[in-house]
Amino acid sequence: MIRTINCEIDRAEGSLQRLIGLVERRGFHIDVLEMEAEGNGGRRVALGVRARDSGRCFDVLGRQIDRLIGVRRIAAGREMAV
Amino acid sequence: MNAQSAHVRVEPAQRLSGAGLMVRALERLGVTTVFGYPGGAIMPLYDALAGSGIRHILVRHEQAAAFAADAWGRTTGEVGVCIATSGPGATNLITGLANAMMDSAPMVAITGQVGTAVMGTDAFQEVDILGMTLPVVKHSYVVRDPADIPRVMVEAFEIAAMGRPGPVLIDLPKDVASALTDDGYFPAPDRPVAPELDAGAVEAAEREIQAAERPVLYVGGGVGLAGATRALRAFAERTGIPAIATLKGLGALPTGHPQHLGMLGMHGARAANEAVHDADLLIVCGARFDDRATGRLDTFAPGARVIHIDADPAEIGKLRAAQVAVTGDLGATLDRLGRTAPAIGSWIARTQAAKAAHAAHYDAPGDDVYAPALLKAISEAAGDRFVAACDVGQHQMWAAQHCRFSRPRAHLTSAGLGAMGYGLPAGIAAKLARPGDEVVVITGDGSIMMNIQELATARRYGVAVKILLLDNSRLGLVRQWQELFYDRNYSEIDLSDNPDFVKVAEAFGVEAFRISLREEVGPGIERLLAAEGPCLAHVMIDPEHNVWPLVPPGKGNIEMMHHSFKRM
Repeated sequence: MIRTINCEIDRAEGSLQRLIGLVERRGFHIDVLEMEAEGNGGRRVALGVRARDSGRCFDVLGRQIDRLIGVRRIAAGREMAV
Repeated sequence: MNAQSAHVRVEPAQRLSGAGLMVRALERLGVTTVFGYPGGAIMPLYDALAGSGIRHILVRHEQAAAFAADAWGRTTGEVGVCIATSGPGATNLITGLANAMMDSAPMVAITGQVGTAVMGTDAFQEVDILGMTLPVVKHSYVVRDPADIPRVMVEAFEIAAMGRPGPVLIDLPKDVASALTDDGYFPAPDRPVAPELDAGAVEAAEREIQAAERPVLYVGGGVGLAGATRALRAFAERTGIPAIATLKGLGALPTGHPQHLGMLGMHGARAANEAVHDADLLIVCGARFDDRATGRLDTFAPGARVIHIDADPAEIGKLRAAQVAVTGDLGATLDRLGRTAPAIGSWIARTQAAKAAHAAHYDAPGDDVYAPALLKAISEAAGDRFVAACDVGQHQMWAAQHCRFSRPRAHLTSAGLGAMGYGLPAGIAAKLARPGDEVVVITGDGSIMMNIQELATARRYGVAVKILLLDNSRLGLVRQWQELFYDRNYSEIDLSDNPDFVKVAEAFGVEAFRISLREEVGPGIERLLAAEGPCLAHVMIDPEHNVWPLVPPGKGNIEMMHHSFKRM
């Protein structure tokens, strides 16, 4: 199952790397990545992620992303069958 | 009054280099001491530092600067600062950054960087330190414009200290450091207001406590970090709930407190592990269910419900589900809990009986120095001013098991990362931060060699750290595992060709002496603690002496291995 995560992050050096690095290190594959610049100095990022194993909790991942400095907003999106 | 004299004199804006502005920021942020090592790309900052009131401690390896800054943060609660140049200087900080990240130490690391024009061209001493450190910092910056320096510095210090503390990296390209700019506007640091406690969660936690028959207070390092020691002790004493501590939680409740059952986990006390195993409620305060503490998660506290109180929402449910989660101010939460002492008399009696039955013994046979007894004795001799700066290995676990800790921030240990080499630079920083404390570096013959060059730092600044070097001429913990779990296939653990550590210390100008027999321990402790400057006691211990008890790998905490004393 792929879960989508929609974020708005600062357009700052390393911000995208920080986000996708965290997702992979915490045990999730990134199957989809879309990004566009926003007019407010931010970037909108949509990730489609899939847990590497059953021990990985999507909600915990959301909180780990949320605590990153420079993540302005995060919302869980729809689930998609792989 | 003529028109000319009515002029308001406008001072021209002071022009500073970016580096000068950074030093000014450090001063305004209250930094008194930094640890570092200069080099090419960071020279503008060192140029500016020379004229400042900030004390710079010149270490002899950048890793030591990072460990020292980490320990400064842990000891004082202030943000520790370390400085290194680009390239190898910066990469040498990485272990220290990871250490601070794992153990939530507030720290800012400033690295020089090659000029912006050549960044990305594989220039001399260029590395992408921002990219390399992303997983081991709380946040990071590359400063591209000197005008950003005041904002970046204020933000970095706020981020490092707020909530769950951690390290922040600031990468400063040389041209930005050298460029002249106006003395910038320094934004006032935010004083983050703790979020309102979730009253419903607090009430739910209270109901859990009142309903529990076998509760255990699970004390982590977050208690000290949150300044919640008073609240924790008050909660423990008004409820009578038995307490256990993680490696980092030691001292929040004094280890001599009757309710303290000991450290839990791989080398924890049997009474602590049994209590957790039999508990029907864990009240987890500022802890993250580290695997060294829990052992096999699927057998950990199998009958317990969990109240998890933590500053970091991301820790809730990461490894163990919580029936009640309270995120926010730990002390304020504890102050609202345990309004009535739960009726748990028989549970308290049971845990106390287990504590008495499994208490450590210090009457090992023979004339050899018995390390647990030595560590207990030195911590008692140092009293409430005792601070242990531990390295990693058997000595670290013995210190956790047997030293007396009466306060948090007095046990400096690389808990999460397990970084050998932490002890000496950490001890130097702790002694500089709190000169009135009795700082004892507890190290081994493996660990000391990881940062032994810092004896020069201790000597240079006359830092009166007391170094207790337990020498078994082995990598003791690895040897122990090879003995127990690898069929005694001893592979690359022999260090019997160690240098003469007394001579090494003396060569650095540090007083040193040797303790070889048990009868020398008492006078040795006296001499070590009485030394006015840095002093090293080289203690010979039995190479086959293991750390007990032990939870074997892959086992639950209740499956502890014990031993009886080896008879000589």
